[in-house]
Amino acid sequence: MTGAARLVLDGVAKRYGRAVVLDDVSLEVESGEIVVVCGPSGGGKTVLLRLIAGTEQPDQGDIRIDGKSMLGLGAEQRDVGMAFQNFALYPHLTAYQNIASPLEARGLATAEIKQRVDKVAALLRIGHVLGHTPRELSNGQKQRTSLARALVRGPGTLLLDDPLRNVDAKLRYEMRLELPRLLASFGSAVIYVTQDYREAMALGRRIAVLRQGRFEQVGAPETVYGEPANLEIARLFGDPTINLYPCRPDGEAVELLGERVPLAPGMAQLAGREVMLGIRAEDIEVATEPMPGSVAAELDAVTPLNVRAVLYLRSRDGKELLATVPEDDALRFGRGHRPVWAKLAPDRFLAFDPATGARL
Amino acid sequence: MGRSSLGGAVLRGMLLTLVVLFFLFPILWVVLMSFQTNETILRIPPSLLFEPTLSNYTALISGKLVTNAGTLELAFMNNLKNSVVLSTVSVALALLLGVPAAYAFARFRFRLGENIAFTLLSFRFAPPLLVLLPLSLYFRQLGLTDTWVGLIWVYQLIALPLILWIVRGYFEDISPDIEHAYRIDGHGWWRTFTRIALPLARPGIAAAGLLAFIFCWNNFVFALILASADKQPVTVGALAFVTASGIQYGQIAAAVMLSILPTLLLALYAQRYLVEGLSLGAVKG
Amino acid sequence: MAGLALDQLSKIYRSRGKQPVLAVDRVDLAAGEGEIVGLLGSSGCGKTSTLRMIAGFEDVSSGTIRVGDKAIQALPPKDRGVAMAFEGYALYPPLTIRDNIGFALLRERRSREEVARRVGEIAGLLEIGDILDRYPPTISAGQQQRTSLARALVRRAAISLLDEPMSQLEPQLRAILRARIKDYLIEHRMTTVFVTHDQTEAIALADRIAVMEQGVLQQYAPPAELKEQPANLFVASFIGEPPMNIVDARLAPGTEGGGLIATSPDGLTAFKVPLAPALTARLGRPDIGYKLGIRPHRALVGDPLGLPATVVSNQWLGDQAHLALDLGGCFLVVVAHRRIDASIGGTVPVRLPPGAMHLFDAASGRALLHGLEAQEAAAA
Repeated sequence: MTGAARLVLDGVAKRYGRAVVLDDVSLEVESGEIVVVCGPSGGGKTVLLRLIAGTEQPDQGDIRIDGKSMLGLGAEQRDVGMAFQNFALYPHLTAYQNIASPLEARGLATAEIKQRVDKVAALLRIGHVLGHTPRELSNGQKQRTSLARALVRGPGTLLLDDPLRNVDAKLRYEMRLELPRLLASFGSAVIYVTQDYREAMALGRRIAVLRQGRFEQVGAPETVYGEPANLEIARLFGDPTINLYPCRPDGEAVELLGERVPLAPGMAQLAGREVMLGIRAEDIEVATEPMPGSVAAELDAVTPLNVRAVLYLRSRDGKELLATVPEDDALRFGRGHRPVWAKLAPDRFLAFDPATGARL
Repeated sequence: MGRSSLGGAVLRGMLLTLVVLFFLFPILWVVLMSFQTNETILRIPPSLLFEPTLSNYTALISGKLVTNAGTLELAFMNNLKNSVVLSTVSVALALLLGVPAAYAFARFRFRLGENIAFTLLSFRFAPPLLVLLPLSLYFRQLGLTDTWVGLIWVYQLIALPLILWIVRGYFEDISPDIEHAYRIDGHGWWRTFTRIALPLARPGIAAAGLLAFIFCWNNFVFALILASADKQPVTVGALAFVTASGIQYGQIAAAVMLSILPTLLLALYAQRYLVEGLSLGAVKG
Repeated sequence: MAGLALDQLSKIYRSRGKQPVLAVDRVDLAAGEGEIVGLLGSSGCGKTSTLRMIAGFEDVSSGTIRVGDKAIQALPPKDRGVAMAFEGYALYPPLTIRDNIGFALLRERRSREEVARRVGEIAGLLEIGDILDRYPPTISAGQQQRTSLARALVRRAAISLLDEPMSQLEPQLRAILRARIKDYLIEHRMTTVFVTHDQTEAIALADRIAVMEQGVLQQYAPPAELKEQPANLFVASFIGEPPMNIVDARLAPGTEGGGLIATSPDGLTAFKVPLAPALTARLGRPDIGYKLGIRPHRALVGDPLGLPATVVSNQWLGDQAHLALDLGGCFLVVVAHRRIDASIGGTVPVRLPPGAMHLFDAASGRALLHGLEAQEAAAA
């Protein structure tokens, strides 16, 4: 990896009227790196991409590509490729012409254009539909054509705006496996935008969580998942959503779900504080017999979730608890509506300040 | 759901035929009249069977009408020419001005943008008679009465708002992402306008142009007041058939047929563009 | 509450100037009282047509639909005792959400207190309690969908029909709402049929799933059976995310030691699966093309007895790891419930237990054997 970052966002801000959409956003992306910008809708992700692409200008801050400031430069003057969520293919042109468009703008010779278009089309396995117009392509093919157009020029910076959103589940999964390898061969600095945390964790070397116009956390996927900076980020990552309960620990244990649940020693400093305690579904062990330190509960439903199963529990004091177990373990629970015991792993609790949401 | 009986279908067919006849009857009658002499037309009782004659058409085209009171000069062909020139040039000018303006209204957000657009549309609301008197006074002051420039300028009042509103809608329907993608590819804004926006809005531009042409062609009042005989379009020229020796129904009917012809042909030709590419599928959904 | 039975149900669409389309082809399906059935397939497979026939919005071309003992295919929708949640929500715009949900209950002349109680209960379950006084055009698509669902579920009708009930749901709500809805359906013993193209959703909710393709019912079984004993290649590759890995295979001649040889798309030998001689003999001719299947989490990564595979990608998703491996030219997706330490391009051992493998006939797609080890004893 070379020293200087390919793409630099420096204190970028953007307002629409009174509404602040982006507020002091900074990030550096190196060549060949994929940074995933993840967050709920309305957080400002699409606006961020527009600012980098050049179709809009920031109100404050700077955007530098290869060290050169992009302020004031239009989209056509930047070395950026972009793939859109709704594909944005030119309806009156063939797939070939769509992909060739960036090369045409650079004034390349027809022969060279053909060579490069064919090469990227082969890589994305759409060589056989190049003569079709977008109307004649399937959603998967449109998405690949959109990607091919973004990649064909080998741009220094690549922006992918939730490209898998409008593609069916099967194809989405296949592309998720294929994309990292595909993008690695081009070496661009990649910003990938998505709302799906699994896609974010699967694709990104780093994840930047964008909420309400700010990067609330930037880090490796396992860090964002295991050490979320605040409660909202903890809820965004993980399926089922993390279980959260307001309570007051007393040092070694906490009154939770109608029983005394032991805590790890590391939580001792929270004694006497009001906190929101969170525990992820996979950190809960469920058995048909009581276990030391476990909570009694009623298992009301079993909903399989691919290779795992979600157990829907209700505690003695009426609170809901979701736990997951590997698929094979779920069989012994049948259809539910039976008593079970749940052990919440003491060292896996996450504590958050109830007022600010920050992690303690 | 949807089990149709044969009887129901026949009844529907009959009903539809009756409705169509009701609406088309006046036009059919005019067509028939144009092939009849005045005597045949005014015969009582009127009959559907008659001896067709082309005398009305020949009179119009040759410019001479032989009546009992003598030979009349008919300026109809000149009127036709005036209509064509006036409507075509007006629409062409309105498209030249209106299409880029529509693009600006659709794509750029500027202060008072919506207000300006609505003001321009409001020109269509006002009945022409309302503005006619002040307009004719201004024209006299400016020396524009009975000039081609003056007429074409006034016709913009008819054509521009129409084109603006229809074409703006079509530009708005084009997903902005498509144009963004073209700019990101490296093309400038003019190329984006000509290579992407215009081709995709073509059905709308054709529709708007056609509609504007029809409205300009059909306009009566502006031409009546602001133009003199040699610049009059067919709408005004039809008045000439109300002569001292009686109303020449046959010629009027023939004149009507000839008047309809250009707009009809234009509509048939432009139809291709109107239907084309209504669901182009380049954007998901 | 009653059971539902579909008997040789078919639907043919005829339109002028086009070929008739056989959308539903002699489907036989029975659901017990209180059972939750999912109709699963890609678009155009006939699942929505089937649902609409049960509801009464499509005429039945042939076959019968029975609720309990009563045949209902000739009755208009309002006389069938079904409640439906539509894919397009179909909410009543001038009514508040509260009135939308309670509409049918009020028409059944239930007391105001009971209606209020039941509406409050279902709204709380579906997290729409805070928008009960708003109107449909002012709420989000996800909220509209939940309202449509609430309207159908609150009735606790004899048969509940749900058309793509959760497609617009916000990702954070999916797991908890699926669980609550399933709990509600079980608690009130509601016989339910729902349509979806998302196999994750189908597996989560249904007691049994009817997998359909091009109008034909492929398999009707509980989720576990669909996963472990798929009837054919279509079901095997449709169910599961990631779906079952399928590779080409052929029988090795006795001279080469018997067993199955899995081949890469290029035709090269990728790996071998030993079989008991009795099993090899039972399978018979070496000229048949086979397909071998193994589910992603049954392939054991890191097992020292495994074969070396090259790592194409390694993705940790917080509670599970998904790896894409190249084993002798074959592309395999493997899932583990813990993090696997392997970098892209590196090598990692992977063991494919024969007991976890499935054998299919390549030409017809039909499943032949589920588990190649257990057959050893059975074949003897």
